[in-house]
Amino acid sequence: MSDAQKILIIEDEPDMVEWLKAFLEDNNYVTISAPNGEDGFTLAKSDKPDLITLDISMDKQSGIKCYRNLCDSAETKDIPVIMVTGVATEFKRFIETRKQVPPPAGYFEKPVERDELLKKVKDLIG
Amino acid sequence: MNHDIYQKYFEAMPCFLTVQDRNFRIIDANRRFVDNFGEYHDRFCFQVYKHRPEKCEICPVELTFRDGRRHSSEELVRTIDNHEVSVIVYTMPIYDDDGNITAVMEMSTDITAIKTLQNQLRESQEKYRLLFEEVPCYISIQDQHLSIVDANRMHRETFGTSYGSKCYEVYKHREKECMPCAVRETFKDGLIRTHEEVVTSQENQQINVLVSTAPICNAGGEIEKVVEMSTDITRIRQLQDKLSSVGLLIGTISHGIKGLLNSLDGGIYLINSGMGKDDRVRVDKGWDIVQRNIRRIRSMVMDILYYAKDREPDYEILSAPEMLTAMHDAMKDRARRLNIDLTCEAPDEVGEFEADRQAMRSLLVNLIENSIDACRIDSSKENHRINIRVGSDSGKIVFEVSDDGIGMDRETREKAFSLFFSSKGAGGTGLGLFISNKIALVHGGSIRIESEVNKGAHFWVEIPRRRPESKLSLEKKRLEMEG
Repeated sequence: MSDAQKILIIEDEPDMVEWLKAFLEDNNYVTISAPNGEDGFTLAKSDKPDLITLDISMDKQSGIKCYRNLCDSAETKDIPVIMVTGVATEFKRFIETRKQVPPPAGYFEKPVERDELLKKVKDLIG
Repeated sequence: MNHDIYQKYFEAMPCFLTVQDRNFRIIDANRRFVDNFGEYHDRFCFQVYKHRPEKCEICPVELTFRDGRRHSSEELVRTIDNHEVSVIVYTMPIYDDDGNITAVMEMSTDITAIKTLQNQLRESQEKYRLLFEEVPCYISIQDQHLSIVDANRMHRETFGTSYGSKCYEVYKHREKECMPCAVRETFKDGLIRTHEEVVTSQENQQINVLVSTAPICNAGGEIEKVVEMSTDITRIRQLQDKLSSVGLLIGTISHGIKGLLNSLDGGIYLINSGMGKDDRVRVDKGWDIVQRNIRRIRSMVMDILYYAKDREPDYEILSAPEMLTAMHDAMKDRARRLNIDLTCEAPDEVGEFEADRQAMRSLLVNLIENSIDACRIDSSKENHRINIRVGSDSGKIVFEVSDDGIGMDRETREKAFSLFFSSKGAGGTGLGLFISNKIALVHGGSIRIESEVNKGAHFWVEIPRRRPESKLSLEKKRLEMEG
């Protein structure tokens, strides 16, 4: 397990965290999680995950702000990020406002299709 | 010589001239008079002019004989061929050498043509006045100082207009003029303007109106007044609001369902994989998620139904403490599983109130569910507390729900009751608090929030103990209007 890839789940909905953790761990990934963008960014810097799943609509700090921070920081800018959102318009707004940040490595709208998510993760980090 | 000239003038005067004695007998008359009224010798004025057997009740000739002064009056006389002629009559005394009045000269000018014009003018004015009065919109006419100088019937009846009041006072119950003011702008450039406004009737009802202003110029082309014509478009606006709400509702429902489906899918995954691994803890977690989300779907459907029905409360007498205690019993175990201590204070002496049972239950369930969610997603502490209580305050029942969950910032607080605002990502449907507020309002009550980020939230719901009759009849009227 020591060489298992580590995935950081940034998500404020506990039910979502619960199943993402179970699902990814069942597929031999190690997971850690943070309930908001602020904690997520801190954890990304300290734990250096191989991939991040990021919820866009969160209460404390939006996923968009967190994504900007991740892209801006030299420590985290190379970690692939998969965005997950319940609202299509949020992503649209994100795409429209992005100037200095690259598009995310992956993007999923809720309800998330499990197999597609897994395929994306595998494509990105093996 | 002089006499001949005067006689010539007398004859040629373009009016009817007579000279009468004290008995109103005509002793002299000019040619025009004879041509129109015939032979006058030994006949009385009233016989010739009016075909009457006796003197007129008010007679300017008599008055002049009495006081020696000139008199005038307007009369309707009849010619020899029976044509009615309107005349203005002037009388003047004729004196003898001793200064006694011996006769009175009466001069009658034909004003039939003017009279006909006057009548036509009056009729046309009356016709336009009638149009102005009865046209089914609000019309007012304002002067340079924005004072209303005229208004039609619908305007007076709706706004209780008194002439001289300022338009902004009458239409909007404002103390200062509106900025910008369409009437002022029309005064400036003489252009017709159309815009939309919300005005308030004397019964404090809000009316959406489409307002047009147009200049009224005097003969010199200067703008003297401005007419303001407003058409009631409240029903169109209500319909539009309803339609756009339905659009928003569908968007929100889809968004809510997407989140719920995602969680259900996750729960099912945990159950299936847990059973495969014989992992009881995982199966239980999965079941919890599935159950919670099915409950959410149920309450979402109830909210949608309530929204769709838009009905009057079905009032009955309810016991406030019993209602709250039953709710506490139903929800406390579920709260406990999320490490939330749900406590209840419902003293018996609070007693009964009048409300719609199902609606009140939805209102309280929404608020408690909202607090449970605010605690559930708050990862800053392990354990949370929600307290629900009921009390009374001068004719009102006051329900309170307070929690120590994530709390709300100002924007979230201010938008909390608006349609389809949810700060809780997939968790909230955005409908719950909107419906709760709507239920409180329909009952003549209100909801208030105090909350800060990371400091929890406190909701107060005030419902009148007795149903408000006025509110009810108003609501009834509105529903009737909406068909």
